[in-house]
Amino acid sequence: MNPPGALGVLEEKEEEHLSTPILGPSIHSDNPQERIQARRLRIAARLEARRREALGEYLDGKKESEEDQSKSYKQKEESRLKLAKLLLCGTELVTNIQVATDIREIHRRVEEQEIKRQRLEKLENEVKTSQDKFDEITAKWEECKQKRIPQDLWDMLNTQQMHCAGLIEDKNKLISELQQELKIKDDQYVKDLKKQSDDICLLLERMEEQVKHVMKTFRQELNYIEKAFEVERWELLTSNKKKWEQALQAHNAKELEYLMNRIKKVEDYEKQLNRQRIWDWEEYNMIKIKLEQDVQVLEQQLQQMKATYQLNQEKLEYNFQVLKKRDEESTVIKSQQKRKINRLHDTLNNLRSKYAKQIKQFQEENQSLTSDYKRLVTQFKELQKSMRHFALIDDKQFREIWLMNEEEAKDLISRAFDVDRIIHTHHLGLPWTAPDFWFLRNVGPISQQPQKSATQILEEVLMQAEEEETEEAASEAESYLDLPKQISPKTTRKILMLLCDESGFLIENKLLSLLLPLEKNECYLLRLDAIFSALGIESEDDLYKLVNFFLKYRVYHSPSSQVIHPYAFLQLNPWHLSPPQEQTSLLSALEPGKQPDLEGQKEESLVEGEPEEKEAPPSSRLIHPNDVLKILEAFVMGLKKPRDSWAPVKLKYVRDNSKDSEYWEALTTVIPDTTQNLWDALYTALEKYHLILTQRAKLLIENNSLEQQNTELQMLLQKYLDSKINSELQVPPIRVFRAPTK
Amino acid sequence: MQETLATSTLSAPRRSSISTQEMFSTADQTSSTGPQPSRPSNIPPPGKSKGWNSGTKVRRMRRIIAEDPEWSLATVPLLTELCIQHIIKNFQNNPILKQLRPEHQQKVLSHLSPELPLAVTANLIDDENYWRRCCMHRWPVCHVARHGGSWKRLFFERHLENLIKHFIPSTTDPTVLLDLLPLCRSYVRRLRVDQLLPPVQLPGPPRSGELSDSGSDGETEEPATDHYQLRDLVAGLSHLEELDLVYGVKDCGMNFEGNLFLFTYRDCHSLAATIKACHTLKIFRLTRSKVDDDKARILIRSLLNHPALEELDLSHNLIGDRGARAAAKLLSHSHLRVLNLANNQVRAPGAQSLAHALAHNTNLISLNLRLNCIEDEGGQALAHALQTNKCLTTLHLGGNELSEPTATLLSQVLSVNTTLTSINLSCNHIGLDGGKQLLEGISDNKTLLELDLRLSDVAQESEYLIGQVLCANREAARQRTLNPGHLMSPVIAKGPEKPAR
Repeated sequence: MNPPGALGVLEEKEEEHLSTPILGPSIHSDNPQERIQARRLRIAARLEARRREALGEYLDGKKESEEDQSKSYKQKEESRLKLAKLLLCGTELVTNIQVATDIREIHRRVEEQEIKRQRLEKLENEVKTSQDKFDEITAKWEECKQKRIPQDLWDMLNTQQMHCAGLIEDKNKLISELQQELKIKDDQYVKDLKKQSDDICLLLERMEEQVKHVMKTFRQELNYIEKAFEVERWELLTSNKKKWEQALQAHNAKELEYLMNRIKKVEDYEKQLNRQRIWDWEEYNMIKIKLEQDVQVLEQQLQQMKATYQLNQEKLEYNFQVLKKRDEESTVIKSQQKRKINRLHDTLNNLRSKYAKQIKQFQEENQSLTSDYKRLVTQFKELQKSMRHFALIDDKQFREIWLMNEEEAKDLISRAFDVDRIIHTHHLGLPWTAPDFWFLRNVGPISQQPQKSATQILEEVLMQAEEEETEEAASEAESYLDLPKQISPKTTRKILMLLCDESGFLIENKLLSLLLPLEKNECYLLRLDAIFSALGIESEDDLYKLVNFFLKYRVYHSPSSQVIHPYAFLQLNPWHLSPPQEQTSLLSALEPGKQPDLEGQKEESLVEGEPEEKEAPPSSRLIHPNDVLKILEAFVMGLKKPRDSWAPVKLKYVRDNSKDSEYWEALTTVIPDTTQNLWDALYTALEKYHLILTQRAKLLIENNSLEQQNTELQMLLQKYLDSKINSELQVPPIRVFRAPTK
Repeated sequence: MQETLATSTLSAPRRSSISTQEMFSTADQTSSTGPQPSRPSNIPPPGKSKGWNSGTKVRRMRRIIAEDPEWSLATVPLLTELCIQHIIKNFQNNPILKQLRPEHQQKVLSHLSPELPLAVTANLIDDENYWRRCCMHRWPVCHVARHGGSWKRLFFERHLENLIKHFIPSTTDPTVLLDLLPLCRSYVRRLRVDQLLPPVQLPGPPRSGELSDSGSDGETEEPATDHYQLRDLVAGLSHLEELDLVYGVKDCGMNFEGNLFLFTYRDCHSLAATIKACHTLKIFRLTRSKVDDDKARILIRSLLNHPALEELDLSHNLIGDRGARAAAKLLSHSHLRVLNLANNQVRAPGAQSLAHALAHNTNLISLNLRLNCIEDEGGQALAHALQTNKCLTTLHLGGNELSEPTATLLSQVLSVNTTLTSINLSCNHIGLDGGKQLLEGISDNKTLLELDLRLSDVAQESEYLIGQVLCANREAARQRTLNPGHLMSPVIAKGPEKPAR
């Protein structure tokens, strides 16, 4: 029982197909309201259409006048408006059914309400009346109970029955009425269903029609729009064509104008050309005449030139002849020369080949020689090596032999001493003192004292300097070392100080930092040690050389001392020159070890003679610190060379055997001659004594033997005496013996 | 099947293809019927005389091979082709799809039968074409646009709707629906069930003639007439957004009976619990289901503070003023955007309570009170509410016994309000003066696009003039939408659609 609901569903469907036929069949609707509405709408739509047409036309005219280009736009706009209106109208028309159903439903409701109210009223009345009747009947029942006469009771019951029947009939009537109503309602329901289906059909029909219509109109509008577009396009085309043609015409006209201009200009130019040509012609003639005149002049000149030319030719011919002859001569000479050259070339080649040959030869020779030399060098080296080896071994052997001999000698000596001592003490009864000789204390081969290293000297120098500072009185010569007699320790020390101060760059930074906390002297010592190691100064000699060099350098270079002593040269020269000399001399000399000594001696001798020596210490103060570096450089340059060359020789140490014989001699003469003489005398005396003693010993022995014989004989005698025989005998031998004895 | 037959006929005279054919037949048991007819032509029955037969056979074959001009390797189906055929044939038992390459997947999908059981296809196949074929196979008319453009969704939604529609409680096995649930849970977003069948009564209906009896006995009978309980189903559909229900029988025609349209209290309670539990629900419609005040109150109470609900449609029911009051309460306790109470029994007090809620509401866009009876009192209350409301765009007051005073007030509203785009006042008694006043009111308005005054006793002239104004407004709105950057454009764009609903 929900017709609006059904419509509602349909309405939803219809949203998709918004459509309406303008002449909707709603005019044939049952509902007068709807019909009226439909007609009204139709009129409105027509009016609207008419108005729109008019408006459209008006707009068309207006817009065309206003703007040409938006014809299609206008058409679109118009179509859009039209279609929008159409759709609106369509939806309205379709929804009209819903609205109509709604209003019908409202009417139905109102009616239903009224009917319901009436029915209720009726029912209420009925209930009231029936209640009254029922009350009456129930009241009558009371009455009935009081009736005693059966007749009356029967009548009463009858009437009661009648009343009840009436009541029931009333009720039944009501029921039938209501059922009738229900039936009517059922019919109504059927009718409603039918109506709804009709409505739905109508709606569908309308929708379909609307769809069709809308499609048609859409298509139509599309056509219109397309047409409008086409028209516009056509118009555009025509207008463009027109424009194009106009432009073309204008272009043509302009072209013509240009052509005319061109012709005119061509003519002008032609005239100008003619004028120009004439003018040129005249000019040309003038120039021609002038040039012809020139030509004539030039021809004359040419004639002259020709004459001179002939003259020259003849001259030249003569020259040519002369030259030809010369040429021939020269060719002859040339050939000669060439031959000569060839010959010389040959000789040159010969010489060259010879030269090459010789070169080869010499090269070969050279090679062989160099190989020989190399071999020799290697041999020499080997020799040196072996020599060194042997020297070492010799040394060792020598030492061993020496030691052995010495030991032997010492042994002998000690024995001699022992003997001497015994002789003195035992035999002579004299006190004996052991003789004290230097050689007795000597152990091992006698040798020079080993050279001190530079640092030791340094230490000593410094120590001594300190000592000097503390005790001024120290005797220089005594306390000082052996070699540098020519230089005072003070000078040395000062020079060394100077050196130490000036050449700090030779010391490593690390060392410097380490040195800081040390004592002043130690510090100097270490510093100098480092500097000397950097300079390559190792031995005592080197050090003194350095000191000397400083002094000499100062003397030689100092501008203060104007007088350049000849010795300075002499002294300096050996420093510079001696190394090579030394080398040769060392190589040649079998005792190179001696050389420095000799040199030293030479120097000593040289220096000793100098009176300047004493001046040296004060002068050393004048050495400018700035000069130290230069001096050092010169020294190092000088020192380096000998170092290199000395290297192989240096190992050789040749001992001095001069004292050996002396030593050994000394050893032999340990016992002086006096003692020997004494010993000799003693010897003879003792021999005599010995002889006597031996005789005595002999006698003693004889004596002893005789005693023994005696005892033996005694024993024999005793034996005989004691024997039994004695008893047996008449005369015992014993008696015999006794007898004599008695 | 078609292909195998074709190959078999073609391959009849050839040996090379026969071997493949045989292989195929051995490999594929189901297609063995295909090559079998071809066999006799090559291998003669052993009963016949051998000598002659073999000789002729060789000769004939030679001759045929020599003369066959159409023989080409192209007609031999590729192995992939055969495999795909096999897969298609055995898809029900052994669905292989994801392992295939895309082009082969496409081929398989295009040949799958639309009648395959859903248990196989539902979660395996996403291809729209397949589901399109399924849909077309089952239903002649399909509006895929109504289902979010997804054919799969359409298929499952309609399938489920069909099942629910034909579900007869206590007769149909409920597991039928619940079994489908895991298959369709992720695809169904909308359920539109336009009928829910009551359980079948075994004894013949004795009260066909006594409507009053059935009405009075309704409550005792209720348990027997309960409809299908949607609770389990809806709880399982995790993406459900729209629920559209009608507790009634469709197309009953002359078999009408009162108890076919019974929405019992148990149904109502169950439904209320269901929609309360469904948090994704956006649109809920319960139409033509005899929902009276109490039931409406039960339902609306369950919808209070619903997180997602946007549209509530209770049209074509029996809701009175109390129900309307409940709806008004809902308006202020939810984000409701559309409320439809069309064809109910709301009278002036209900409309007043709605108007009271509307006065300060900022969510509601559309309100439909068609075919109620709110009369002037309610109409005036609503008009007053609209003076403060800044949100409502669509208002349907058709068939509400309104008359001139409401029109006067509405005309005042129209001159002030700038949000309303559509008002429907059809089927009222507005009268000539009311029409004139409305015309005055609308002449100051620039936003109203539709004002329906059909069958409301308004003078034709004023109706026409109102139409002119509306036309101008529509044109302005169109211009606004065409010129982007205007603030109002989105609202206006919606305008023309809403009133059509």
